Amino acid sequence: MSTALRVLITGAAGQIGYSLVLQIAKGDVFGRDTPIELVLFDIPLMTNALESIQMELIDCALSNLIGVEAVTSEKEAFTNVDFAFLAGSMPRKEGMERNDLLAANVRIFKSQGKDLAEFAKPTTKVLVVSNPANTNAFICAKYAARKIPARNFSALTRLDHNRAVAQIALKAGVTADKVKNVIVWGNHSNTQFPDASHATVTKNGVEHKAPFAVGDSNWIENEFITTVRDRGGVIIEKRKACSAFSAAKAACDHMYDWITGTPLGSFISMSVPSDGSYGVPEGKIEKGMSWTSFSGLVFSFPGLVFSFPVTISDGEWTIVKGLELNEFAKEKIALTIEELLNERDEALGACEE
Amino acid sequence: MASPLRVLVTGAAGQIGYSLVLQIAKGDVFGKETPIVLVLLDIPPMAAVLEGVQFELTDCALANLTGVEAVTNEKDAFTNIDYAFLVGAMPRKEGMERKDLLAANVRIFKSQGAALAEFAKPTTKVIVVGNPANTNAFICAKYAAGKIPARNFSAMTRLDHNRASAQVAIKSGVTVGNVKNVIIWGNHSSTQFPDVSHAKVNKNGSEVDAVSAVGDSAWLQSGFISVRGVTVQKRGAVIIERRKLSSAMSAAKAACDHIHDWYKGTPAGSFVSMAVPSDGSYGIPEGLIFSFPVTISNGEWKIVQGLELNDFAKEKIAVTTKELLEERDEALAACGESKQ
Repeated sequence: MSTALRVLITGAAGQIGYSLVLQIAKGDVFGRDTPIELVLFDIPLMTNALESIQMELIDCALSNLIGVEAVTSEKEAFTNVDFAFLAGSMPRKEGMERNDLLAANVRIFKSQGKDLAEFAKPTTKVLVVSNPANTNAFICAKYAARKIPARNFSALTRLDHNRAVAQIALKAGVTADKVKNVIVWGNHSNTQFPDASHATVTKNGVEHKAPFAVGDSNWIENEFITTVRDRGGVIIEKRKACSAFSAAKAACDHMYDWITGTPLGSFISMSVPSDGSYGVPEGKIEKGMSWTSFSGLVFSFPGLVFSFPVTISDGEWTIVKGLELNEFAKEKIALTIEELLNERDEALGACEE
Repeated sequence: MASPLRVLVTGAAGQIGYSLVLQIAKGDVFGKETPIVLVLLDIPPMAAVLEGVQFELTDCALANLTGVEAVTNEKDAFTNIDYAFLVGAMPRKEGMERKDLLAANVRIFKSQGAALAEFAKPTTKVIVVGNPANTNAFICAKYAAGKIPARNFSAMTRLDHNRASAQVAIKSGVTVGNVKNVIIWGNHSSTQFPDVSHAKVNKNGSEVDAVSAVGDSAWLQSGFISVRGVTVQKRGAVIIERRKLSSAMSAAKAACDHIHDWYKGTPAGSFVSMAVPSDGSYGIPEGLIFSFPVTISNGEWKIVQGLELNDFAKEKIAVTTKELLEERDEALAACGESKQ
């Protein structure tokens, strides 16, 4: 058996955490034969719930799960972790404005960024699930910069991506695996831009461009976008609870692809720090530092954490370059950039920078 | 691609259902390449919640999930299904006596047994998770008889089995993959008998008796199973107390293990615990749905014969058998049938 991976889930006592821990423990992300030590972190108030989840994971009798730790201190949580799924956050309370929610959350992620720098590894990979995901990841990366490169930080737009894939599959009358190269651009919010213009659908063994396979450009520019964008709200309305298992599944897909790589000719959507591609603002470099390599740089702050199409190999993502963007796409992308810049500035302010 | 399997989950809008449907959908039970149509059943007041679950399954973008149907009537639920996970049951309400709970539930399972006979296939396989699981499965099988053989019905004691394996692993200082042949005898209730006397532990490369590996027979006879203990028998209650909710995740995982093993078979030299209709083995009255050690091949389970039972074991087995006979008689009475 290979060396055990130490995998952290924050917010482990919450809805998404409950689904996520089992999928990870079962080997869906790292492989059934990879031994895992799961570290479950939540606030002290959730101690009982955490312990019962720890018991349940033991009761699952999983051969590769060699340890489960239930912790409520950040030091115990972050020490030596290989992977971190950050699903814990401040929920919206009554009377809370959007900017209060943002401020409260970025402070958590500032603290966790510092903890990652202090206790984790330079190779630790991080996926931020909790909202506002992109800006939380941005702040986390900033405060971890002295130890962990910005490119090890990401936010979850894979759920939006999977939802987009599923909608195209339904419309084209194929199974989800026959749809590829859908893109979700931008922020995991209402300004996200689900883009089918570069996607393909394989039907009866023949690969077609998605707009052709779907045969309805009005749908692609309207209903498709609103359905994907509003899906989370629809599910809350029906279930009276947020999308937990589909979000957890997407988090697993995101991390699995990051580790395993994407097949030739395929790309997927990940929110990652921008390098300036497609006009999305990149990071601000510390004065006096020289540009040697992207991964070795320490930023005043990293590039905007933006959902891009990426290919992945050897554990490293690369933004797909040179995709044509028509006027419609450019407009959509500009809107989501604007929102992310506003969030970034509010966040930096809230962190007193 | 092969013809899709049609798989029903009842109580799909509930806690266990929520943990279960994803595991089935992503291929954990029938394999990642096996196409599945998932049928989700719950009561009409849960229709919106059920639709939300259906949407979430779609949003998982799973290659092998060729369809998801959200239904609220038995005909749509049971038609042509290959497998049924019967999770939905009447929950205990405040002031409800045990016998009221039993009566309410047998009515559900009588109706579902009849629906299976009318709409499902003669090859349909059923796992009953909703409690009282063994007796619900008994009644269900009774009312499906004539179309579906009793041997296609089972109740879940795999959660207790998994819990027991995990406890033996911890106590022996090994990982759980190194423990096999633990047995849960009897009813999925506090009279269950977790038995490690035939279990094996792989420690430092050699296979030893679990009893030696654990090295603490006092624990095996009390802490491990005792009525006052906090391990296998009481585990469910401890989890409810801490989570304020039942052990949905681990129950769903166990249901998947149960059906996976029924579908794929058990490895040579290994057996698992399943509550199945007795054939008289170990003195258990025929037809009683009782948790036995079984091996499985070609989709058929076989009770492991000839295991030695010491006096301690015989006593425990007698207690759980008695409870199951009482439940059976109460259940038949509630269905308006005379005692057997």
